Amino acid sequence: MNLVELVAAGLLVCGLFFYLAGTVGLLRFPDALSRLHALTKADNLGLMFVCLAAALLAGSLRAALLLLLVWLLALFAATVSAHLIAQVSLRSQGQALEPGDEGGAGGPADGESGK
Amino acid sequence: MNHPQIWMLLAAGLFGLGLYSLLIARHLLRQLIAIKIMGSAVFLILVVSAGLLDGRLDGIAQALVLTGIVIAVAAVAFALALVVALAEQTGAVSLEPEDDDDDR
Amino acid sequence: MTWALMMDVSLAIGLLFLAWQALIGGSLLRGIIMFIVFGMVLAVAWAWLGSPDLAMAEAAIGAGVTGALILVAYWRLKRVNAVEPADPSPLRSGVALVVAVLGTGLVAALGLASVAALEGEPVAGQLLNEALPETGIGNPITGVLIIFRSLDTLLEIAVVLAAYVAARAALGKRQVDLPTPSRDAPLMTALVTVIAPLAVLVAIYLLKAGGQIPGGAFQASALLAALGVMLVLAGRLESTLAVSLWVRLALIVGTLVFCLMGLGVMLFGLPLLAIPGTWAVYLIEAAMMVSIAITLVLLFAGSDGLKGVGR
Repeated sequence: MNLVELVAAGLLVCGLFFYLAGTVGLLRFPDALSRLHALTKADNLGLMFVCLAAALLAGSLRAALLLLLVWLLALFAATVSAHLIAQVSLRSQGQALEPGDEGGAGGPADGESGK
Repeated sequence: MNHPQIWMLLAAGLFGLGLYSLLIARHLLRQLIAIKIMGSAVFLILVVSAGLLDGRLDGIAQALVLTGIVIAVAAVAFALALVVALAEQTGAVSLEPEDDDDDR
Repeated sequence: MTWALMMDVSLAIGLLFLAWQALIGGSLLRGIIMFIVFGMVLAVAWAWLGSPDLAMAEAAIGAGVTGALILVAYWRLKRVNAVEPADPSPLRSGVALVVAVLGTGLVAALGLASVAALEGEPVAGQLLNEALPETGIGNPITGVLIIFRSLDTLLEIAVVLAAYVAARAALGKRQVDLPTPSRDAPLMTALVTVIAPLAVLVAIYLLKAGGQIPGGAFQASALLAALGVMLVLAGRLESTLAVSLWVRLALIVGTLVFCLMGLGVMLFGLPLLAIPGTWAVYLIEAAMMVSIAITLVLLFAGSDGLKGVGR
């Protein structure tokens, strides 16, 4: 294992840590807004580390720029969906999320995975 | 794909779970999900049974399954439209009458 | 136990557990969400098996779009206060269990037998690998879809169109029924201005890259559909009763271009549905991408037409 691979592995472990933190937050936090906070913040950071690791391993500027694009798209998709869900949960104070609006979480998730 | 047997057993398990749920569930959405999961099992069988070629999956099987995934979403969309239309017109989300007694 | 075997086994157990969670017991909403998670893990399984094309399609279409469609149908059922069916009786469960066990055994026997019969090279795949370099298309799956089995793909896009028409016929004319969020959210305009071009750019990249590496029309259309769903939920695309000419054109352009191309080549003495070059592959894929994306968005919105909402 050379130095680049070692650094990439380290970045991957960092990314996985943030995904783990985000997931624990999703499961443990009491209300919709703080869960959203955990998910969007931690997972986007996790994705950044994973993209960095992949860019290092790919070893070309083109691939690195593509991965940057991927990360930006996921970042904005997560922002919009989090914003939509937060709006709904604020309006329905205390009630569970309306099922129809969770389609918003499904939609942007397609965006994140469609790459 | 180091152990195709594991994937075949998984497909069989998914198929069985889907079949069981399709038979006992009464809510049409649940039955639809059961059919989707049975479909995933069939896709797994298609790809795994085609085997490897030069260490890669068979391209034809992959293309067939890709077609299948898109057809499946079209079929699901049509089925959902039928379920919603049924519920709006009769108020039911099941194909069985409410007073149906299976124990007879 | 090797690393690869551990991955195989843990993915298999995880998928079985998620399918169980999606199907048996629990509330329906929980089941639907578990089904979406199942689709995402299945996408990981496809990637692990060595098929990034299927992984992308499964995550975007099999889990994402399908999940969004089922969730929005669930919401519509809740809105009309449909009667929840009663639990099944134990007798019925017993019979179902016997049938399911028999079905599992049958599929397992067939699957294991087909694995045991995997001796030598698969013939069709071999022919594909030999013929592919002549086409100028590097991605074998795109090659099969558009060049070698173009009739299948033409019928597929026709089926998608037919399913849309059938769904519209079943639902009839209806007014907008999705919950529209407040349009004056401060952040939304700025976010939409960034994300819409970004998503279109990535979709075009996926389409273009799909000729040589994993990607293609279906994955790109799912990305565009996701963008459309997001715009509908953000109140930027509004459902309408009137169908504009653009929406009609977008719905049929995939089938239309494919048919015209397939017939047009006959004027030049080529056989029906022969593909004259890589440019034709990309043209057909682009048309299919537009059609599938608009179809999926209209199915989600449950409306006849769509129009943009200006600020």
